[in-house]
Amino acid sequence: MPFTFTMTPADVELLMPEILMTGLLSVILFLDFLFPRIEKTTLAWLSIAGMGGIFVLLADYFIEDRHGTLFREMYIVDPMAIFFKAFILGTTILVFLASMDYLKKVPVFRGEYYFLGLLAALGMMLMASVNDLLSMFITLEFSTFSFYILVAYLRDDAQSNEAGLKYFILGVFAAGLLAFGISLLYGETGSILFTDFAKMHAHLTPGLIIGFLLIFVALGFKVGAVPFHAWVPDIYQGAPTPVTAFLSIAPKAATFAILLRIFMATVGDIKGDWVWLVVGISAISMTYGNIVAIAQKNIKRLLAYSGIAQIGNVLIGLAAASKMGGDSVLFYFLTYLFANVGAFAVVIIFSNLTNSDALEDYDGLSRRSPLLAFALLIFFLSLAGVPPLAGFIGKLYVFAAAMNEGLVALVVIGGINIVISMYYYLVVIKRVYINMPKENTPIPVSFPMRLVLFTTVGGVLFLGIYPKAFIEISVAATNLFGRMI
Amino acid sequence: MIPLSSYLAVSSVLFVTGLIGVLIRRNFIIILMSVEIMLNAANLNLVAFSSYLDSMAGQIVALFIIAIAAGEAAVGLAIIIVVFRGRIATNVDQINLLKW
Repeated sequence: MPFTFTMTPADVELLMPEILMTGLLSVILFLDFLFPRIEKTTLAWLSIAGMGGIFVLLADYFIEDRHGTLFREMYIVDPMAIFFKAFILGTTILVFLASMDYLKKVPVFRGEYYFLGLLAALGMMLMASVNDLLSMFITLEFSTFSFYILVAYLRDDAQSNEAGLKYFILGVFAAGLLAFGISLLYGETGSILFTDFAKMHAHLTPGLIIGFLLIFVALGFKVGAVPFHAWVPDIYQGAPTPVTAFLSIAPKAATFAILLRIFMATVGDIKGDWVWLVVGISAISMTYGNIVAIAQKNIKRLLAYSGIAQIGNVLIGLAAASKMGGDSVLFYFLTYLFANVGAFAVVIIFSNLTNSDALEDYDGLSRRSPLLAFALLIFFLSLAGVPPLAGFIGKLYVFAAAMNEGLVALVVIGGINIVISMYYYLVVIKRVYINMPKENTPIPVSFPMRLVLFTTVGGVLFLGIYPKAFIEISVAATNLFGRMI
Repeated sequence: MIPLSSYLAVSSVLFVTGLIGVLIRRNFIIILMSVEIMLNAANLNLVAFSSYLDSMAGQIVALFIIAIAAGEAAVGLAIIIVVFRGRIATNVDQINLLKW
């Protein structure tokens, strides 16, 4: 069978954001090598400017409603893919802003950090466009490889090394499961394209069931849903804090792009057969994450367990398996982005000065830095889901989507979990506002950090008070989305 | 000609061997080897299906999996060496700083 490879100018145009991103990261790498004395924050600002440009290009694509497929349908560009690409770029920009101060403490290899960050972002942008099993495997590994190195980035820090090793072992284990699942699906259907699966209407054979389960487990590892969550708290605690912030949101969003494509466009017809699985995992993730978070003494671990619970909330939208469910997943990720990256920004600023992530050191933060205390209050209330903040609208949207599909029990469990989560978020808020500080040194907040804090606080407030604009974006993003049921 | 089911039997045995190896062995290098066995079970499956179904896709996927497995070993061994230098430890039980 002859293999012809053609790319028309229109195809190149569809791929332009990734091409530009590749160019950007090459420039950053070469600048770092050619001018070893270059100020590393210059590299950071340069990458942020470049990503800002690509972000604008993506926004333009979104407004123009560009769509199409490349490489024999292996790679798809549609509004949902563009939404997730822009989402990942936005996250990367915020994380780079938050990394600058932190990296001043790292003795060597500071330039490569930005290169690896861009590489991970590129991998995740490709993940958003995945339309077949092969590109799913390659792009997942592509982004995860960069994260293995980023997590183990502090070479002389035993905790960071250990976190990198644990992440690596569990990551490659998931890759092994994924590869075997792919081989089984290919054997049963004779194709690797998602769109072909959708056309087949095949009855479920054991091979198909095992294959889908293995792929689901591997993707569950990436998003950190219970029972595949074992790596989450350790890696969150051990990794450099900006990397934790990155890891806690971007790969999860990109993996959800794949999950939405597989579960809704491909096996949407037989949703009765798999909804119970997603419902179960969602309920366990929420409950487990919130209950274990109560016992935590380290703020990064607390945010890790809260992250597990938030993923449970996102899975409610997937369990709804309707167009509205898809919209609500996209919107929930927007609300989660601002609150979560903001909370980690506060943790970064605090640990830059104190070198501590222990919750007891947060006593009396409001007397040391009213700005940080207020920001943390906003982020935690939003994560808990208090009106009128972003998290409230996000949860409401997800619950509404589930109610429309009759998943009453899941919504009730979600409601109970809001109450549980309120407890541990408020315990931290009490420490910050009511307890007396042990020392009174004020905490300085640098310019890039201020930028992150103002953007995220602004985002949380805006999404909460005027969600309409962003809900319209989420709805438009899934409009074209395949054969959504 | 060897029937497809024989290939599948071998690959299933390989996969389960790798799976059990990851779960019960304590040495990082051996865990890494077990993961490679899991990936190769998938490769064997893909190539067997590819020949049986007369479609090229499976072989292409297998080639990519081989390449990615090589990259995986490179990154993984580097991380294991860093940990070993810091702690003189190659066993899972000795890596226990992070826990609640």
